Amino acid sequence: MKKVRYLGYLFILPAVIAMILVHVIPMGWGILISFRDLTLRNIRNWREAPFTGLKNYITAFNPVTTVGQRFLRSLQNILLYGFVTITVGFLIALGVALLMNKPFVGRNIVRGIILIPYITPDSVAYNFWRFIFQSRIGILNEMLLRIGIIQEPIMWLVGKNTIWAVIIASIWKGWPLTSLMLLAGLQTIPVELYEAARIDGANAWQCFKHITLSYLKPVIKTIMIMNILWNFHAYNQFVVLFGRNPGIHAEVPNTLIMREAFDNYNYGQGSALSVILMLMMLVITVVYQYFFRVRAEE
Amino acid sequence: MKKRLVLLTLILTLAVFSIASGTEILFWAMDNAPSALHVAWMQEKAAEFEAKTGIKVVFEEIGWGDGPRIMNALITGEGAHVFQLGTTWNPQYAETGGLVEIDINEFGGADRFFAANLESTTLNGKYYGVPWFAETRVLFYNTKMFEEAGVRPPQTYEQLLEVGKKIIEVHGEGRAIATAGTAAWDLIHNWAIILWAHGGDMLNEDNTEAIFNSAAGVRAMNYWVSLVDTGLASKACAEYNQPQADAAFISGETAMAFMGPWNIADIAHDNPDLPYFVVEPPAGPYGRAAFSGGSNLAIRSNASKEEIEAAKEWVKFLVSDDVLADYTKNLTNMIPANKYALNDPYYDTEIWRTFIKALGYAKAYPPIPEWGQIESIIQTNFGNVLTDYVDGRFSNITSKGYLDAAAAEVNAVLQGN
Repeated sequence: MKKVRYLGYLFILPAVIAMILVHVIPMGWGILISFRDLTLRNIRNWREAPFTGLKNYITAFNPVTTVGQRFLRSLQNILLYGFVTITVGFLIALGVALLMNKPFVGRNIVRGIILIPYITPDSVAYNFWRFIFQSRIGILNEMLLRIGIIQEPIMWLVGKNTIWAVIIASIWKGWPLTSLMLLAGLQTIPVELYEAARIDGANAWQCFKHITLSYLKPVIKTIMIMNILWNFHAYNQFVVLFGRNPGIHAEVPNTLIMREAFDNYNYGQGSALSVILMLMMLVITVVYQYFFRVRAEE
Repeated sequence: MKKRLVLLTLILTLAVFSIASGTEILFWAMDNAPSALHVAWMQEKAAEFEAKTGIKVVFEEIGWGDGPRIMNALITGEGAHVFQLGTTWNPQYAETGGLVEIDINEFGGADRFFAANLESTTLNGKYYGVPWFAETRVLFYNTKMFEEAGVRPPQTYEQLLEVGKKIIEVHGEGRAIATAGTAAWDLIHNWAIILWAHGGDMLNEDNTEAIFNSAAGVRAMNYWVSLVDTGLASKACAEYNQPQADAAFISGETAMAFMGPWNIADIAHDNPDLPYFVVEPPAGPYGRAAFSGGSNLAIRSNASKEEIEAAKEWVKFLVSDDVLADYTKNLTNMIPANKYALNDPYYDTEIWRTFIKALGYAKAYPPIPEWGQIESIIQTNFGNVLTDYVDGRFSNITSKGYLDAAAAEVNAVLQGN
């Protein structure tokens, strides 16, 4: 029996080594340099970069510093972005999944088609949205003008509307996967449960609340945690839509980290911001898991 | 004496070839031309070079976003031996200590290259790269639209506003000029030429303090915004990147645009019937100013002696008159940084002469390692000014405020804080 157990460890050893090499060591190195003033001057000999303790971390939360101002604003932006994108995206996905769960002709083809936004590469999809959002020749303004909702073109790619532009594009890109996962969850629910509930006099809302949502809970939990983490990581959509500097209203942690580390060559500061972001995600994940476990036990 | 010198040079050249012969080096350059053409040209030249020297060159095309990859090569010693660097990148990479110091006499001497491009290869007065090709931006104008509006090409920035007003009277609002906006990574270059023409500069003489937030800086910033605000440019320009602005001119939508030499080929390809011509950048109260950009070739220092010698030979080959002229006229549509390559008859046209003249007085940004960071700070705040304009909060006070904020940030960088 023992032999078999050791054999198991042996099998996972290559994966563990690979994880250590490509994941743990670079992450550890990132944490180490976040405590140093690592710049262009000392990048070739990073051990000699001055140790600065928590300076980079304090700067990140100090609203008097430029980095601090930008980081705090980027957190506000990502929270708004994440909240709206996840909520609206989830509601659309749930609606579509419920429709897809009903039998109709060509269901499998439709299922494939709805995945198109998700499988389109980010660079293509968000460039496509960049065209849609162009103020002068974009389709969106053209449509809004024609139906009389607006009187003059809206600037979507600069200014205060940028965050809404990226939210719209991200919802479009993200909901199909959520929908597919929900649909998979829906298909595990035994039809007999609904039949029994109806015999007992349950209406459609009660069936949805007590059967559908209850059975979907584990799937929803996974979807939510994945979406929260992905949205905190958001980068491609912001850069493709607005360029490396998305501006005050659409700056998010990852665009700031990239600029700080690779445009400004403040590798230490960039690493500190990354570590903070990682810790935030860790806390969110743990709290979320705990919350769900407690609710499940209740 | 002369014979001895020739003999000595021959022996030295042979010695270098014998050291480097049989060596293989890796060369990274950006996608300076359509990939299929670019790679084929490089492979052909590499074969020609190998036949001549015995040095094998492997070419790999990289992107403009691959700066971190170059940095990795400098740190680890793994990767290209020779690579292309944007002119504003050269000093910061030199600062890492990862570039070979260049004796410019080995590459034909300082006089062989445009002064601003050569300056861009320096750090603390030493050369760390060899200028490859150059670019500057001039004012393209649509001759038909000008004729219909009854105006002549502007010679000053004030005239540009007057000419623009007449053009929009005839052709409609937003059709006088196409300008780049927040999505342009090179937005700063547009502001810089107006700043210089108004007597301003980026940093003080010893590069220890930001001075771009002077009255000239604010004027230049407000001038750029005024092009949109007065309706000469479409409000949509605030969101444009440079290729979008270029496209607006090339399609015949607008009458003017500040564009680079590569746009000549774009026009020939996309709209060959476009009636256009070019003039030098307009003059401000302090005369005309132009921006000098382009690319240099640099050599990685953590390589073997043989590899470094081979790399030098490859750079010499690439910047040689005929090879460089062939590369710039047939592939990149840029201006050779080696002035002798301009003897090629291809460059003997009025349009090219305008570019070359502008390049003659063009300025490079200060060759200091902090420049990348400084450029990013200015760019961010320039973006903020345009964002304020779109949000309806723009005023002289806000643009001065952003420039002051940028200057304070730049000063902190220069002081090492």
